[in-house]
Amino acid sequence: MLMPIEASRIHDVPDDPIDAIDYCYNQGWTDGLPVIPPSVARVDEMLTYEGRPAETVIASHSVTGFECTIHAAAVNAVMAGCKPEYFPVIVAALDAMNQPEFNFHGSAASTGGSAPFLVVSGPMTKDLDMNSDVNLFGPGNRANTTIGRTIRLVLLNVFRMIPGVSDKSTQGNPGKYSFCIAERSRGNPWPLVCEEQKYPEGVSSVTVFAGGGFCNIENHGANTPEQVLGSIADAMANYGCITLGQSAVVLAPEHVRIISAAGWDRQQVKEYLFTKAYRHVNDLKGVGKFRQRDYDRQHSNGGTSPLLIENQLHRGLTPDDILLVVGGGDAGGHSSFIPSWSRARASLMQSKPIGVCIDCD
Amino acid sequence: MLLYDPTVTGPEYNYKRAAAIQSIEGKKIGILENGKLNAIKMLEETAYLFEQKHGCSIEPIFSKNNAGAPVPHETLSLAAENIDFLITGLGD
Repeated sequence: MLMPIEASRIHDVPDDPIDAIDYCYNQGWTDGLPVIPPSVARVDEMLTYEGRPAETVIASHSVTGFECTIHAAAVNAVMAGCKPEYFPVIVAALDAMNQPEFNFHGSAASTGGSAPFLVVSGPMTKDLDMNSDVNLFGPGNRANTTIGRTIRLVLLNVFRMIPGVSDKSTQGNPGKYSFCIAERSRGNPWPLVCEEQKYPEGVSSVTVFAGGGFCNIENHGANTPEQVLGSIADAMANYGCITLGQSAVVLAPEHVRIISAAGWDRQQVKEYLFTKAYRHVNDLKGVGKFRQRDYDRQHSNGGTSPLLIENQLHRGLTPDDILLVVGGGDAGGHSSFIPSWSRARASLMQSKPIGVCIDCD
Repeated sequence: MLLYDPTVTGPEYNYKRAAAIQSIEGKKIGILENGKLNAIKMLEETAYLFEQKHGCSIEPIFSKNNAGAPVPHETLSLAAENIDFLITGLGD
């Protein structure tokens, strides 16, 4: 579908860069931080990394009907500070978010305060100098930061998910500025996420997950997979987080070394986490969080997984509801868990290949 | 310096508000619940007040499978065929 770009939507602003940045502030185009003024030349350069016409619609807002064209995505990518070569990741991420199962309107509008968490996997992470290593979620890497920031600017400027108006997050989370990491391949004993997703060899992917706040899991005393994963499962099942929703778990290399030394593969890890991330029904009732509807959904008709145990509510419906990623610096027993915004199946993580079209018309 | 506008123009809708019903006495009420904790309880209490004070009758409850997504068009169409007005609200 093509949408015409109106010439009237070009603004003639002062040449002084600071004045231009202030102009962007005054128009309400920022996330609170300064943006790169989206000059025509910079946007045109960004567009050279996408083969389709700039008017092509890549994402639509189910509620308002606002449509994000490749052009609009490029304008916001420039503002976020992206290099043009990052653009295919952004297009793929928006394509993934546009899948109905992701339900980006719900996750962006909700009091839950989630942010689209992006995991980039595959060789492109190296091509773009993305960070999959030390200070993974922290500042300092241009690609990680600006790719994630672009998604927020698109939500603000294109889809008008305005804080306090259409974005009703009770507290929000810092990931709403930017929430993007690369999967670590160095020292990773398992197939990469993009390989597990069955994309062709050499094709990178981006996975989007409507994530809540980041939860650090510290365990420097663990020496077995059960100890490492037991502490992670405990975080996944804490009273504030346990739901039928999906999970993102980012395993620190130090923890991965313990697990892989025991010969565990990725599926075993996910099955163990699913098995151990649960709360007893009576305990959930004790804190007022038990819902018979959720329990029935998980346990009725023989259950959604053979690993389920009676009178326990597990996190998610099956082990495959866990996105397992390796990332972070060599030193430190710090993994992380990111809970889903969705308390059930209102938003399901989606992935897309980057820069290629598979099985397209 | 020439800058592109990062926003987009939205579609124009030709929606109109439905005419207000003149009286709620004896009308059929629909309840649309969003699946969240306490939603049904709260809406049923509200509907009960209409029943007691205005002689309204309560039709079967309409439910959303996904609290975070807009109500499906088919659900609203079905409701519109069978009720005079709909009450809804959030759970939690």
